[in-house]
Amino acid sequence: MRGQLLLNGILWLPILGALGLLFVPGEKKNVIRYMALGTTLGTFLLSILLYLVFDPSVAGIQFAYKVPWIEQFSIFYSIGVDGISLPMVLLTALLFVLCVLSSWTMERSLKAYFSLFLMLEGSVFGVFLALDFFLFYVYWEVMLLPMFFLIGVWGGENKEYAAVKFFLYTFFGSVLMLVGIVALYYASGQGAESFDMVALGGGKFEELRLDIFGMDVSFSKLFFVFMFIGFAIKVPVFPFHTWLPHAHVQAPTAVSVVLAGVLLKMGTYGFLRIAFPMFPGASVYFADAIAWLGLINIIYGALCAMAQHDVKRLVAYSSVSHMGFVMVGMAAMSLQGMNGAVLQMFNHGTSTAMMFLLIGIIYERAHHRMIVKADGSRGFGGLSTVMPRYAVVFIIGMFASMGLPGLSGFISEALIFLGIYEKYPEITVLALLGLLLGAAYLLWMFKRMFFGSVLEECKAYPDMNKREILYMIPLCVAVIVFGLHPAPILNMMRASVGELTALLSRF
Amino acid sequence: MPSEFNYLANIGRIVPELVICLTMVAAIFLEVTYKRKETDRPMIFYSSILGLFITGILLILALSNPSVLVFTSSFVVDPFSSFAKLTMVLGTLGTIFVADASKELSSGVKTEFTILALGVLAGGMLLTSAHNMLVLYIGIEMLSIPSYAMAFLKKHDAHSSEAGLKYALYGGVASGLMLFGMSHLFGVTGTINFLEMAQALEVKEISLAVLIPSFLFFFAGLGYKIACVPFHMWAPDVYEGSPTPVTAFFAIVPKVAGLAALLRVTHIFFSREAGALDHSWALLLQIVAVLTMTVGNVSAIGQQSVKRMLAYSSISHVGFMLLGIISLGPEGTASILFYGFVYLFMTLTAFGITVLVGDHYGSDHFERFKGLIFRYPLLTILMGITMFSLAGIPPFAGFAAKFNVIAAVVAKKYYVLAAFALLNSVVSLYYYLKIVKFMVFHTAESDEPMEGGSFRRNLGLTLAALPIVVFGIFWSKLHALIQSASLWVGP
Repeated sequence: MRGQLLLNGILWLPILGALGLLFVPGEKKNVIRYMALGTTLGTFLLSILLYLVFDPSVAGIQFAYKVPWIEQFSIFYSIGVDGISLPMVLLTALLFVLCVLSSWTMERSLKAYFSLFLMLEGSVFGVFLALDFFLFYVYWEVMLLPMFFLIGVWGGENKEYAAVKFFLYTFFGSVLMLVGIVALYYASGQGAESFDMVALGGGKFEELRLDIFGMDVSFSKLFFVFMFIGFAIKVPVFPFHTWLPHAHVQAPTAVSVVLAGVLLKMGTYGFLRIAFPMFPGASVYFADAIAWLGLINIIYGALCAMAQHDVKRLVAYSSVSHMGFVMVGMAAMSLQGMNGAVLQMFNHGTSTAMMFLLIGIIYERAHHRMIVKADGSRGFGGLSTVMPRYAVVFIIGMFASMGLPGLSGFISEALIFLGIYEKYPEITVLALLGLLLGAAYLLWMFKRMFFGSVLEECKAYPDMNKREILYMIPLCVAVIVFGLHPAPILNMMRASVGELTALLSRF
Repeated sequence: MPSEFNYLANIGRIVPELVICLTMVAAIFLEVTYKRKETDRPMIFYSSILGLFITGILLILALSNPSVLVFTSSFVVDPFSSFAKLTMVLGTLGTIFVADASKELSSGVKTEFTILALGVLAGGMLLTSAHNMLVLYIGIEMLSIPSYAMAFLKKHDAHSSEAGLKYALYGGVASGLMLFGMSHLFGVTGTINFLEMAQALEVKEISLAVLIPSFLFFFAGLGYKIACVPFHMWAPDVYEGSPTPVTAFFAIVPKVAGLAALLRVTHIFFSREAGALDHSWALLLQIVAVLTMTVGNVSAIGQQSVKRMLAYSSISHVGFMLLGIISLGPEGTASILFYGFVYLFMTLTAFGITVLVGDHYGSDHFERFKGLIFRYPLLTILMGITMFSLAGIPPFAGFAAKFNVIAAVVAKKYYVLAAFALLNSVVSLYYYLKIVKFMVFHTAESDEPMEGGSFRRNLGLTLAALPIVVFGIFWSKLHALIQSASLWVGP
């Protein structure tokens, strides 16, 4: 019962906080800030408690809570947590606290900003905790609304285009998923139809055939593709990635952090929670395609990152590259690959959040993010002399993201490579090339920004202040600790991932 | 279905219709006797509201009564028709409020609006309950003729006159086609009663070469009323030329009536799901639904005026609702009734806000919505909710409505159709987002608060938008009610 209360608390506290903020007068800015911080901190504490009561030896869902919602369609308000969703919940709860801290100096329509932000947090938790497919879809879509406004109102110059593109793209994927959801519902049994995500899993639909315009189509393959597109847009998998650079570059810092740190994971989480368990046969059938698409992501993302002049764009493309590793790891469908993929989801969340927060810090000082300005001159130079503390944190974040041994990115990437080598040796080799490219664009960026002669305009930049250090510390700790000792996260997910790979190995 | 022959008892069954007719007569009487005295307008307004209110309550009470055929089986009173009528009554009630708030209609014309709307409503109620060809035809005509006059309401405006004339001309042609189709059907079956006709079609061997064209002509009349492709040509001009409250009215009442009649006819004639005729009918409806959605959506994208955009999008919503008919069953019927009921509130809110903005700035172009969030936050939030709901984004009622239709379609294994319909709502999201974008992301030239909002208007619009939120999350009970009403649509 304690667990159920915790889950509901995590899910509804942010929403209540968002509603509560609406009753605070807009000019009391500090009250608003502390309320937002309090809400996110409270949620984070609840998620820590959840971690403490969570039993890692159980593979299935824990703390399931189920009440009827719409009886006619047997739709339930059904939530629960397992080893795959718990790391995501912890990551989300942590990142939102840091994002509130990083938005502390925000002035414009503060109340609306934090209110939408908390709404976003609630809906993200909804996606990770929902066990009813209908409920999942509702949260999946509801999340778009705060995101749309956060990018569109508080974004950069080209914010409208980015917000609309983001919304339309994701909605396009979602509607295909909706068709799949309803089709699964009706296929799940005459008279006993259900949206229960656990009950739908297990590969019940592999034998089903469909007649589409006279063609004999496999039910599971068709709807795997539908779901795949829905999730692939979120990840984003090449060629569905084009919304990402725009959304990232235009979004304010905190929103970029959430977007890269959490929202992209919703796509891969969708594969692990929905597409793989519900269509295991089709997943195995399409595994090669997923692996190659993942490889394209790795290489293409890295090459694009290398060509960027805008640091934020660079990091955005590096996310495309890093999410490629997750895709490849999942496609291997081996225990190590899958573990690596989930761990990479978590680690990429922390390291990319660091990078975006760091870019936000420099942007607040320089009001631009260009390594090379439009006229060809340098945008930054010699930052390591001017801002030594900043440089240290930047190095940690960069190396974590690069996958340097001893930092978190290394473990997950190593696991992924171990997991895929047997099945896809050629992809392993090419993906290693992607790792090399990753090192290249990150080091090159670092060199151009932090070394060399100090630019006149950079001399006045103050180093990181206490607040900025405060919100960077947890992430630094996370990337170092989980780089040396990844066991807490691996233990958390081992049983659940093991069950999933066992299911996949039967097909 | 029991038939009653006692005329007095029969009259008891049509009390809602009688109340509407009496209200209309009372309104005409008041209009004629107290001519053009400004102080008397509220009296007509309030008496009509009262009449509609009573009708609404009577219809809610009638929702639990089983189906009864009255007036020698020409008129059917069942929960299905009662619910459709309830939707229309609420639509009329809402648009009367919108018209009352509008500055576009002069105060003298507002009473005419009320009277004509009541007339259309009476026709729509007749149409919904029609159980033979003649009553159906009378219903259509009773619905149409006051509609023509409504389009004319801005008497000195060239666009309005054009709209009225166009509406009347197209309507005349459509009625003629329909009558032609009906006479054919009467010729081959020898009866005008729906049930007897359906039985005759089953027993007699009638060539499809005769039946298909007759049904096509018959369909033309109903198709014209719900403005589905290819009978939609009149709609954009009429919607644009008519005063905005009239457009809101046209987007709700005639469409609900037409869809209800179409549902009834389809279920009585084609519910066997076996014959070649049923298949061609289903195929026809599929094509019409897909075309209607697409044409409405694609045309809405380029619009500069919010009213025109809403008008085109209402065409595409009808296309979406038509999908529910294809699945031929209580689920499909329920999904249409649900959609219509929810769509009513979205339309009222959207048009209500458009009227306010249009009256204040003299035009309802997208530009006028710029930065509305800074000038009138409540209006912006309500409009935003409505737009997201129209696009089918949860947790708003529009999503529940679309979900129901998609569920009915997928249950019959029309996967491609479902995917196509939902992709259409992605397209529609583009132009709905455009309004939100203008309202929230852009800044206006001035941040002066927009005037024209009174407590009463704010309250009215909030009440109209409230169901969009409530039925978006808690639609279980409403859906159960509609589901039980939908069981009665068939023969």
